[in-house]
Amino acid sequence: MNQKKSGVSRRDFLKLAGGTAAAMLAAPSLSACQALGGGTSGPITIGLLLPYSDIYAVLGESITDAITMYFDEIGNEAGGREVQFIQEDTEIAPDVAQQKAIKLVEQDEVDLVAGIVSSGVLMNLRDYFHDNQKLLIVANAGANPISRDLKSPYIWRTSFTNWMAPYSMGGWAAENVGTSAAISVPDYAAGENNITGFTQSFEEAGGEVILVQRTPFPNMGDPAPFMAELADSGADLVYSFYSGGAAVTFVQAYSDFGLHGQLPLLAAGFMVEEDVLPAQGEAALGVRSTLHWSYLLDTPENNEFKQAFRERYERDADVFAVQGYDTGRVIAEMLDAVEGDTSDVQAMIDVLPDISFASPRGPFSLDANSQAPRQNEYLREVQMVEGELHNVVIENFGEIVDPGDNSQG
Amino acid sequence: MENFIIQFLNGLVFSMLLFIMAGGLSIIFGQMNVINLSHGAFYLLGGYVGLTMVRQMGNFWLALLIAPLLVAILAVVIEHFLLRRLYGAHRHLEQVLLTFGLALIFSDLIQWNWGAYVQSVPPPELLSGHVPVFGLDFPIYRLSLIVFGVVLAAVLWLILERTRIGAIVRAGVSDAQLVSGLGINIHLVFAGVFAVGTALAALAGVIGAPVTTLYPGLDFEILILTVVVVVVGGLGTLKGAFAGALVIGMADTLGKAYISEFSLFLIFAVMAIILLLRPSGLFGLEGIGT
Repeated sequence: MNQKKSGVSRRDFLKLAGGTAAAMLAAPSLSACQALGGGTSGPITIGLLLPYSDIYAVLGESITDAITMYFDEIGNEAGGREVQFIQEDTEIAPDVAQQKAIKLVEQDEVDLVAGIVSSGVLMNLRDYFHDNQKLLIVANAGANPISRDLKSPYIWRTSFTNWMAPYSMGGWAAENVGTSAAISVPDYAAGENNITGFTQSFEEAGGEVILVQRTPFPNMGDPAPFMAELADSGADLVYSFYSGGAAVTFVQAYSDFGLHGQLPLLAAGFMVEEDVLPAQGEAALGVRSTLHWSYLLDTPENNEFKQAFRERYERDADVFAVQGYDTGRVIAEMLDAVEGDTSDVQAMIDVLPDISFASPRGPFSLDANSQAPRQNEYLREVQMVEGELHNVVIENFGEIVDPGDNSQG
Repeated sequence: MENFIIQFLNGLVFSMLLFIMAGGLSIIFGQMNVINLSHGAFYLLGGYVGLTMVRQMGNFWLALLIAPLLVAILAVVIEHFLLRRLYGAHRHLEQVLLTFGLALIFSDLIQWNWGAYVQSVPPPELLSGHVPVFGLDFPIYRLSLIVFGVVLAAVLWLILERTRIGAIVRAGVSDAQLVSGLGINIHLVFAGVFAVGTALAALAGVIGAPVTTLYPGLDFEILILTVVVVVVGGLGTLKGAFAGALVIGMADTLGKAYISEFSLFLIFAVMAIILLLRPSGLFGLEGIGT
């Protein structure tokens, strides 16, 4: 996958032609490119900035696999040019991600960058992409500020904002499960976004949050100490947001300490996604969550996508794969719309709000205000379906759009 | 008060898991004067090998026996071909480089073989279920970890302090040349110590898997905690590993329970204070490694 970059855009050509020593050094590759016919031809290179090690490795793999699958389906060509990828591992470390971003943008001179799993990494990279006017398509990280006070014209999301799932859950929970809630989230940006999102709609619907637990991040360790507090809280329900390893240890401890079935557990959908469900096992049964996709969504687009992914990678797709697939499609349609000319970043940005299609997750388009998707939010419940654990869609809450400011939690 | 007792039990469970890890690391340092940063990798490897055995044979107890044994064999190979070249009081830096390199390699190999998905291991049938403790269902498996940790500590202490093998091992670290002169194969002793220490890490991996689950990155997460335990308890003694595990296990658990936003900070604050008061840890050997 790690292909060497061989194309140089017109913008880079102009920069290099400025006459610096660097330009002299780069001259050989430049002339090679010229021979192919100028700055808007040759391969387009896309930098993939994703975690391939540590706790989010699965997410990075899913996103990469699905992007690659999408581009393979369309013949690895968009806007009349060949498309190549360069992968870099961000781990879960904002400083490592920063170095890799610099490497992709300045050394590999990629045309655009896609990826980013962790909200912390995204927040840290925001200024770099903004200041360098480099297009970043975020395939996962949901940090709210990127759609709100820290919006940048150069950063667009094909995934979600951290407000969407908890805000959708709060109102429904107060009306259908109970009016006092305990919240347990990891102590970082995404956790805080989940607290404010859930609390706002929960309180609007007459509920009261009586306990908020902030647990160590990224290494939660043994969650046993948190269970006694939840059990003692006297709340009607628990809302939580964990992913990866923490999602498994939390759900298992919840069951080990006898809370499963006693105290309803509600969550942001990542907590019980396809990547962690097999490890959680029956401890996850009955957990209800909100998310913009479910494995069991019965639409032609989803069924086709699941089958293609399964055949190609011999494992089931998860929500991260869906986001990767849609990221691929957004990038391809954008490149088609600008006819492969990546030299003008503003032109690329301008076409993004016009992109809309039927995604495996349902109707998908990009909102010009929040620079994040307009998409459906689904209420799901973990059930045993033909011997496997999956999220059964209980209700479709319909289209959700981030407010684009802090007016709604 | 009731809540505190429950949290105290949680603390003991975590302490015992830490002790099994730290005990292994400490034995290797105390008896061989080797700093082994691949200890976390052996924890994870033990856990994953155990997982495979549980899946293949459906027997947790067999996994508990065989996984540490397999990892111990690997340890003997590493000791024989790599580590042996780096013995000596002034070669800690080289040992750190070697074992950290091994940790990175194992980390990648583990992810390559077992994948990046989180894996969980169910506790054995016999120990699944709960007992009520002040209105909370406490898992029997976790309670049994406390018993296991205490028994293991006693057995290790007896072997090291009260048997001929223990005497040879202890003599070996004081003066390896003299021990060789007495007709004892000191290479065999060191290989044995490394194998036992590593087997303890793998054992902790199998035992800990139902509690911590298994995922890439857990190796370094556990390694850091273990090193903190050993530093707090004092390098090189079993007593130190036990005391350090209790202190850090309790600090972690009670910190999470009562001031969860500061719990990570708390562990390191406790370490800093103890090192200020006792620079060689609670029960550290004076002057070892200098």
